[in-house]
Amino acid sequence: MTDKKTDEQLIAEFQGGQEQAFVKLVDRYKDRLINFVYRFLNDMTDAEDLVQETFLKVYKNKHAYREIAKFSTWIYTIAGNLARSELRKRKRRKTFTMSQLSFDDNEFTPVDPGKDTEGIVFNTYAGEEIMKAIKELAEPFKTIIILRDIQELSYEDISTILDIPMGTVKSRVNRARLKLQETLSYLRE
Amino acid sequence: MQNNECIYISEQFTKYQDNSLSSEIRARIDAHLTVCSPCHQLYQDLNKMLDQLHKLPPVSSNQDFTSNLLHHIKAINQEPFWYKIYASSYTRIAGSAIAAGLIVALGMNIWIDPISPRSPQGQRNFSGEQKAQTHPTEAITSQLDSLQGSGADTLELNNSTINSKGSSLQLVSGTK
Repeated sequence: MTDKKTDEQLIAEFQGGQEQAFVKLVDRYKDRLINFVYRFLNDMTDAEDLVQETFLKVYKNKHAYREIAKFSTWIYTIAGNLARSELRKRKRRKTFTMSQLSFDDNEFTPVDPGKDTEGIVFNTYAGEEIMKAIKELAEPFKTIIILRDIQELSYEDISTILDIPMGTVKSRVNRARLKLQETLSYLRE
Repeated sequence: MQNNECIYISEQFTKYQDNSLSSEIRARIDAHLTVCSPCHQLYQDLNKMLDQLHKLPPVSSNQDFTSNLLHHIKAINQEPFWYKIYASSYTRIAGSAIAAGLIVALGMNIWIDPISPRSPQGQRNFSGEQKAQTHPTEAITSQLDSLQGSGADTLELNNSTINSKGSSLQLVSGTK
């Protein structure tokens, strides 16, 4: 049976002491958040660790959530902040360079393993190419592309998560797409 | 990009795709795309790229993700109360502030007056009485002066002790 409770109802139940509501929220968001963080970090283990940390923060600070914002934007904000902080740490440590991390290290799960082999090969190739181009983007562009074009969040939600006006979100999406297209062309040459 | 019009058109692509432009601007873009092949090509490439982005293969969490998380939470809940206080960020901040305060206080104390007594007249002991302090060299000089006054030409300081600021110097033999 599908749970038709909204995220906001579940977090309210969790705030009221029902731990099972927290587990439902974890099940709802774990894959979405892992996809989001993975596109940032390009490392599955780090992405899982960071999403675990995100849920731990939600667990410990459940009363910090107020129903003035959607639960989804709240949890994306936490995960996004952690991911950006991790990226900054990596830059400081100078262990994260474009040349060091080969795409051979990344695991891609095909959308539908039942598809014909040619389709999978094309998907994986295109996926690798796009991921490589995303990785080359500056952080604000990367964030906006991941949120809008991969996670497919609304402009309004992105505006709340990034705490920037909706107009800025739209113009940044446009610039990020042009930048990504330019990077893809450069990589294909 | 060929000219300012091309730049303007490319800035509108997202809104054009979202169908959120006025009919006038939309018509202007339509007209431009029919005559400007670089912009037309760019628009097509952008559409292909968006299609690829939407088809990116998703990644899934490990099967043990939820159980690992719950295990972690259980471990946190079983931590003793004192450890939670110790590990909390507030305690760490307060601890760091106290430590910084102590370091500053210690540093200022050393910087202001590292060795010599505060008052040249002497120091007060715990009972508030003022102890007269005489510098050891002054004591020796005064003894020498008194000896010179008495006509003696030697001063023996065998087994004498000079005390100064908690340290003492024992003279085994000495002559003048």
